[in-house]
Amino acid sequence: MQPKLAAKAVCSNGEIGKVSKVIMDPISHEVSHVVVQENARQKLDRAIPIGEVQEIVSEEEIVLKCSVSEFVQFPLLNRDHYVTTHEVEIAHLEDNIHVTPGEVLVPLPCLERDVPRRTFFNNMTHAIGALIALPLAFPVLKYLMKPMYKPFDNAWFSVGNEKKITKENIGFQFKFTRGFKEAFMPEQQIEKNIWIVRATPEVKKEVYSGKDRKFYDNKGDLLWVNKANSPLIGFSGKCPHLGCGYKWRRTKSNPDGVFICPCHLSLYDESGKVIDGPAPRGLDILPLEVNAAGEIRIIDVEYKAGVKDQIRLL
Amino acid sequence: MNNQPPTTNEPNALEKVVDFVDERVGLKTLQAKMLNEPVPGGSRWAYAFGSVLLFIFILQVVTGILLMFYYVPSTDHAYDSTQYIIHEVEYGWFLLSYHFWGSSAMVVMVFAHMSQVFLWGAYKKPRELIWLVGLALFGIVMAFGFTGYLLPWDQRAYWATVVGVEIMDKTPLIGDFMARFLKGGPTPGQMTLSRFFVIHVMVLPAGLMALAGLHIFLFRKAGPAGPFRGTSAELKAKTDYFFPRQIWKDIVAMASVFLIICSLAFIEPVVLLEQATPDPGDYHPEPEWYFLFLFQLLRLKMFGGEFGQFLGAIAIPGAFMGLLAALPFIDTNPERNIFKRPASLVSWIVIMVGILLFTVSAILNREFLH
Repeated sequence: MQPKLAAKAVCSNGEIGKVSKVIMDPISHEVSHVVVQENARQKLDRAIPIGEVQEIVSEEEIVLKCSVSEFVQFPLLNRDHYVTTHEVEIAHLEDNIHVTPGEVLVPLPCLERDVPRRTFFNNMTHAIGALIALPLAFPVLKYLMKPMYKPFDNAWFSVGNEKKITKENIGFQFKFTRGFKEAFMPEQQIEKNIWIVRATPEVKKEVYSGKDRKFYDNKGDLLWVNKANSPLIGFSGKCPHLGCGYKWRRTKSNPDGVFICPCHLSLYDESGKVIDGPAPRGLDILPLEVNAAGEIRIIDVEYKAGVKDQIRLL
Repeated sequence: MNNQPPTTNEPNALEKVVDFVDERVGLKTLQAKMLNEPVPGGSRWAYAFGSVLLFIFILQVVTGILLMFYYVPSTDHAYDSTQYIIHEVEYGWFLLSYHFWGSSAMVVMVFAHMSQVFLWGAYKKPRELIWLVGLALFGIVMAFGFTGYLLPWDQRAYWATVVGVEIMDKTPLIGDFMARFLKGGPTPGQMTLSRFFVIHVMVLPAGLMALAGLHIFLFRKAGPAGPFRGTSAELKAKTDYFFPRQIWKDIVAMASVFLIICSLAFIEPVVLLEQATPDPGDYHPEPEWYFLFLFQLLRLKMFGGEFGQFLGAIAIPGAFMGLLAALPFIDTNPERNIFKRPASLVSWIVIMVGILLFTVSAILNREFLH
């Protein structure tokens, strides 16, 4: 039988108090002490070894071997030297406990008692953890960022002959293949397309407003100038709304055709101006050169989609 | 009667092994704790969504690992290796199609699960943290879808990613960095495929497993919410344990979902478009069906222009997710009965109808383009 918590504790010569806690031996998993709280004075807790218990009369009452005067010689319970069974993981400890309410204690190891620097050790652990993580953060970030920012590729690509453009103010698609070298990969040939319009003077004026269009590299040096009077206007194949590929299509309201992006239905006229849909700016004009034989060359410039201003990406 | 085997209480070899392990690990207690979860008000079909999600995820992991036996995440091999899986490898078409339809099933189930929790008022105190972790899991499921369909490297894959990343680019301050980080450069290419691959097969599964574990742990801590009406005496009378009645319903639901996914994989197996290239040709780019409503939303003039786009692509979805996250802290009224929470009921209907309308109009717009 185990003493029940709050059971009456009786000395050889009279009642002394009640059982307030039970202490378990973490090794044998048996009850090692009962803690008796005195009825008198400050209700002090004293730990009584289980061997000093004369008899467990019932779950309601235990009898101690000592007298009332001897009882006070048992040491007072230092609560800080114990943890409850909920705070410690001792497998199967609770198998032997048949008391549920109140505190069931296990003594702390001697080395853990009165350790004054617990907070210090706690902080040190975090500090050392941070010291391991912080020097890693920068190399990891740089490692992942390696391919993110590349210098602009200002190479010229031949896209075809201007003879293909048979009508004015109509979009003609020119496909070209360009090499693309990425990291460790062998250079890959990828297909791209651009649109070219042979502009009438009105459309030229709409595009250039009479001013030459200058292109700069990332250092700010002048790369190329599209003359305001040159009739061929090349548009990047990337829709300035969200980067899809747009097409030239005839519609009911535009029998000659318009540029239409099938993704989010932005419409642009032959000068690249937005006439409907969600696009924030008109089509992007490319640096374009025509030689005497009519061969068209462009720089494959790409801008960020979805913003009002042209922000160059490639 | 002599040939009858002697009846003894001696445990057989298997029982001895089980006892040996149990003595050291406490499996029986663990099993008892897992199965003996009281379900207030009794088991219901409506509670099966969470278990079904876990089931779908496990099969996504299995089919995903199998696909990686042949798939090569490089721009010059991704498309060919996926075609090889579809056309050459025995049952490759089935495993790939199962994985494809499984991802759609996952999104459908996430919506069903979230709706159930919302309508039952089960996000309220003391279950706020379960709801928050659940929202993070929702984000992970959508990210799985987004990163997954780039991997076959066909035109659909390429353009969905181009547009998706451009949308992310519109996030204030960190947008440009995020977009470049995901693309691994100024334009999509090998680095994009590598990054999406590692995110899809390592980062997101790890995140989902950790958060799903936390989700279930928190759920077990708080206990099931139970029905939204009925006195405590009625609930107590109907209460049963997780096993066997709820597990029965869960396993039937899982089997049904499994059959549906298998049927879809048979009826509508995955077919790749042309290999990805920055020239879309005649292809009209379109995202996966569960992103169609957002896609259609961005076609509206009011979400055009730089600011409109930020509003439609970032601010409104962001604010909506923020609102969902704040929901258990704003809606502190303990009333869980959906019929006594008219604002909640109406907003749920409005959102569902809105998503449906936008999705349908995106599909109708396809006709207009042809």
